[in-house]
Amino acid sequence: MAASTSRPLEYLEGLPGTTFYKLYQQPSTALAIFRRMLPDLAKCFVMALLYLKDPLPTADLELWVRSESKKQRDNAISILARLHILSKTRTGDNVLAYMVTNPFASSLRQALVGSEDSQSFGVFSQISGESQVSIADLDDYARQQWEGVMGYMVGTSAFSGQRELNLSKGVKQLLQAGHLVEIRGSRVDITKDGFGFVLQDVNTQVWHILILYVESAEAIGMDSVEVLSFLFLLSSLELGQSYEKKHLTSNQLRTLADLADFGIVYQDTPEATRFYPTRLATTLTSDSSALNNPITGSLTGPAGDSGGSGSGFIIVETNYRLYAYTSSPLQISLISLFTNLKYRFPNLVTGKITRQSVRRAIEIGITAEQIISYLHSHAHPQLRKHNAGHATSNTGGIPPSVLPPTVTDQIRLWQLERDRLRATAGFLFKDFTSLAEYQSPCQYAAEIGVLVWKSDKKRMFFVTRHEQVAAFLRSRNQQ
Amino acid sequence: MPRAVRGLLIECDPSIKSMILKYDEERHDYIVEDLDDENHLVIKESQLQNLKVRLDQDLDEKIMQLDESESE
Repeated sequence: MAASTSRPLEYLEGLPGTTFYKLYQQPSTALAIFRRMLPDLAKCFVMALLYLKDPLPTADLELWVRSESKKQRDNAISILARLHILSKTRTGDNVLAYMVTNPFASSLRQALVGSEDSQSFGVFSQISGESQVSIADLDDYARQQWEGVMGYMVGTSAFSGQRELNLSKGVKQLLQAGHLVEIRGSRVDITKDGFGFVLQDVNTQVWHILILYVESAEAIGMDSVEVLSFLFLLSSLELGQSYEKKHLTSNQLRTLADLADFGIVYQDTPEATRFYPTRLATTLTSDSSALNNPITGSLTGPAGDSGGSGSGFIIVETNYRLYAYTSSPLQISLISLFTNLKYRFPNLVTGKITRQSVRRAIEIGITAEQIISYLHSHAHPQLRKHNAGHATSNTGGIPPSVLPPTVTDQIRLWQLERDRLRATAGFLFKDFTSLAEYQSPCQYAAEIGVLVWKSDKKRMFFVTRHEQVAAFLRSRNQQ
Repeated sequence: MPRAVRGLLIECDPSIKSMILKYDEERHDYIVEDLDDENHLVIKESQLQNLKVRLDQDLDEKIMQLDESESE
C-alpha cells in the first residue's frame, strides 16, 4: 500500500459504525473504498465473498492463504473488519463464518453491474461541443490553484514579481484550522505541520486537505457523511468529462464551490450548470499509480515520476552550495526557507546553506530532518548517480547517502545548537527531615513512572506529576 | 515537613548552567532551586522563553562562527 493511503484510512477507521452504514449506501463510496483503501488480498476476499449466498466458514477462507502468508491474511481481514466490510456470523450449523456486510455488499454489486437510476456516479452533462474544457486546461487550472495554495502557505508573494492567486477566505480558514499556517494580521506564517505538509506528494496533500475539510464541515453544520460520500463520488468521475450540477444537494453544491478553490474541481463560473473534476479529484481513489502526477511532474522536471529518481532538480555540493534547476516560484520559496539564495536565472537558482539560514528555518519551526528529507526527495539524478557510484567502493555498513554527509550532519548540528537545555515541567519535593522519610516517596514516584531526577544527598526529587506522590505522603503521615 | 515546589527542571551543560546562575545573580528571578550538581537546576516556569532568548543572544555573541564569511 502506498503511504498516501494511510491517512484517509486512519480517518475512516476512527468513524463510528453508523457512519459507515450511511456511507456504504452509495455505490460510488463502496467502490472507492474497495479500490483505494484495501490491500490486494482483501480485495480478493471481498470479490470471492461478494456473490456467495451463504456466509463462508472461517476455516474455508483460511485455507485460501498459504500458512507462510498468515500475516498478510490477518492484516487483510483486520482492515476489512475495521472498515466494517467483513463481519463474523455463524452458519446454520453454528460454524464461525465470514460474510460481506450488507449496505457495502449491495452497493458494491450495484457499482459493478450498474443499475437503472443511480446518480451515485454523477450525471454526464449533455451539452457538448466547442465549449468543452480540455484535459490540458484542467491540468493547468488544477496546478495553478494547488500551487497557489502552497504558495500562499510558504509566502510566495514575498517573492516580488509573482502573481498572487486570490484565495478565498474558506481556503485560508481551512489551512488555519488545520494548523498548517498561522495568520497574524496580514502576515501568514507556515507552521511546523505546514512545512511537513508542503513537502509531501500531491495525493497525500489532497487527502490531508479533504479530511480537514470533512472535519470542519461538521462545525459549520454540514453533514460529514454527505460531504465524505460526495468526495468519493468526485473521485469516481472521469477526467475531461463535465457533469450536471442540478442533481446535487445544497450541501454538495457548497462543497463543490469550496473544492474549486483548491483546484480539485473546475467550473466556468460559480453559477455554471456543470462542473469538471480535475486530475486532483480523479486520482484520489484510483489505485493505478495515482502518484504519477502531472502536477509535481511539471514542477520538478521532464520525467513525470514524482518522488522517483528521475524527478529531482536540486544539487547540493559538499561546500554547502545549492543549485536548483527550477523556475517554479513555489519551489524557490520553499528552498529559500532554509537557504540563502544568491542568484536567479531563468531555469536555475543558486544559493548556499548557511548556519544563519538553517537557524532561521529552525526558528520558524522547521526541523533539520524535514529539510534533509526535502533535499533528499528532490535530489537531482546526477547527484544520485554520482553517489551510487561511490557507494559500491565504500561499504562501511552505512547506506549510501544521496546528499553529501557533511552537509546533512551539519544541518543536524545546527539544529542541536538551538537545544542547549532540556526543560521538564513538574514539581520539586524537598525539605525531608530524614533519609528514611525521603526514600519511600522517592521510590514510589519511580514506581509510578513520574520521577525525573533525584538526589539522595540533598534529599530532593523532581516529578512530572505531584498528586499521587502527595497523596502517598499524606497517607504515610496519618499512620 | 516535606514540601513540593512547582517549577521547570532544566538539564544542560555546565557552561550553560553557569550562565543561568549569572543571570540569576542580577535579580534572583530565574532560579527556584539550584540542585548543586553540574547540569541540573529548577527554574520558574514563566521564565523559560525569556531565558532561551537571552541564552541564544549571548551565545551568538560569544561563540565565534567560521562559516559566516560569505566568500563566493
